Amino acid sequence: MSLEFLNAFKFMKKETLLHKLDPRVKLLFAIIYSICALLFTEIIPLLIIFLSLIPLVLIGRLLKQWIKSIYGLSFLMIFIIILNTLFLSLTFAIAMILRIIIMVSSFSLFFLTVDPNDLALSLISMKIPYEFAFSFSLAFRFVPTIAKEAQNIIDAQQSRGYEMQKRGFVNQIKNLFPLLIPLIICSIRRAFNVAEALESRAFGSKKERSYYFTIKYSLKDWIFTIYLLLFLISFITIRFFFNNMPEFFMWSLPV
Amino acid sequence: MLNKLPIISIKELSYTYPNSTEALRNVNMNIYESELIGIMGKNGAGKTTLIRTLNGLIQPTKGSIFINGEIIKNKSIATLSKEVGIIFQNPSHQLFANSVEEEIKFSLKSLNLNKEELNFRVDKILKDFNLEKYRKRSPLNLSGGESKKLALASIICRDPKILVFDEPTLGQDAKEINMFINLIKNERKKGKTIIIITHNVEFAFEYIPRIILMTEGQIIADGPTSKVLNNEILIEKTSLILPQTRQFVMKLKESGFPDLDNLISKNQIIDYLMKFIRKEKTFIKGI
Repeated sequence: MSLEFLNAFKFMKKETLLHKLDPRVKLLFAIIYSICALLFTEIIPLLIIFLSLIPLVLIGRLLKQWIKSIYGLSFLMIFIIILNTLFLSLTFAIAMILRIIIMVSSFSLFFLTVDPNDLALSLISMKIPYEFAFSFSLAFRFVPTIAKEAQNIIDAQQSRGYEMQKRGFVNQIKNLFPLLIPLIICSIRRAFNVAEALESRAFGSKKERSYYFTIKYSLKDWIFTIYLLLFLISFITIRFFFNNMPEFFMWSLPV
Repeated sequence: MLNKLPIISIKELSYTYPNSTEALRNVNMNIYESELIGIMGKNGAGKTTLIRTLNGLIQPTKGSIFINGEIIKNKSIATLSKEVGIIFQNPSHQLFANSVEEEIKFSLKSLNLNKEELNFRVDKILKDFNLEKYRKRSPLNLSGGESKKLALASIICRDPKILVFDEPTLGQDAKEINMFINLIKNERKKGKTIIIITHNVEFAFEYIPRIILMTEGQIIADGPTSKVLNNEILIEKTSLILPQTRQFVMKLKESGFPDLDNLISKNQIIDYLMKFIRKEKTFIKGI
């Protein structure tokens, strides 16, 4: 088993319009798209939201990574399809899959295009205390490290006969313990080490900090913010007046 | 040795990571039964990638691996791990059970042993590794050295024919290194083939008879340790350092000592110096 798909959440420096946008706009984008996805349980509006993501993926030249992030969800998608089709309906199952894809894609685009350093700066500019902003950006920066560690744990366990694929839901859950326990222990130990390293470099000794780089909201950031707000307002309106919408909005699978 | 069939045969092996990094390039090698070999080279040379291909953790992009004459391509990791036991650097990557005993039992689970055999093997390995007193203790409460011992025990209890160690001496004190040396000696007596990845030149020089040097995914040298590790050009290429004995011989050469070319081991150097001292004494007495 490979955790290669986690690279779909790792920042990659590129010179595209999407990469150049202010991190705050991209955070707003991820939040607004997730809210819009949570507003609906019908296929068509979710499909529209999903399709509206594609131009952004193309602008950011991130098609390969985006597909990888969706591929990484395949296990979860199969699980959702089976459970929802059995207990509810196939239409609902597809809608839930679209919802998850939208949410994961929007955050994947955020992580892929935001430099962790810029993220800390943008959070500070949003009046979030430096300690919290730093912790958040640090957590963000550790995603690839944890992915690598998880892969090492999988390799170490497989080397002593551990089998990833086991039949039965309960067995599959039980099967996660040999992976999750070492991963949690290693993460906690690393967190302590990082905290000690920071304290030994006098982290937090001065309340006032100065910054070498500053970030500014430019015209393109404002344009994208306006687009996002309009997007949110339109979908909230659609939700409120859903029953008055054209019939195709309510389309569902015949089964 | 050449008349025997190799236990591991690697032919034209290449591996490229999904991010296009070429980790292995056309690697060829044969390893024979009960051989002890070391793989050395700078970080990123492809050593760990190479050992990961041996039990199927990585599927090579090109080339093939034969273990006991059989190609491993279509074998599962679970099947291959019965033949090839890899002991990774960090023991905390595998310890998770409630007790040391359970940790060993987890490793033996996939071998489908009966209860008696299972208990016998657990008792034996805990005794062999002097871990009996920790039997009921959580593996997470063990010291670094003890955790490493438990990680070793959890692979060796599976009795694989081939043992692969990734940096076994890293962060170990002298006592722990000695314990490891005794362990490899015992395993070799049982006929096990042992592969060790290490950066520890002194350890390799003293205990490993054959060395493979790697750089940029390729093997640049494969031969007797005394020849490979005393070669300044190869050592320079792999960012290693010459063994202390070689460095000492070079210093002696610089100081004008004659006939030093055949001095390789510590004992040879001691003998040479003793002879020299005796000669000097006789010379002084003569005066």
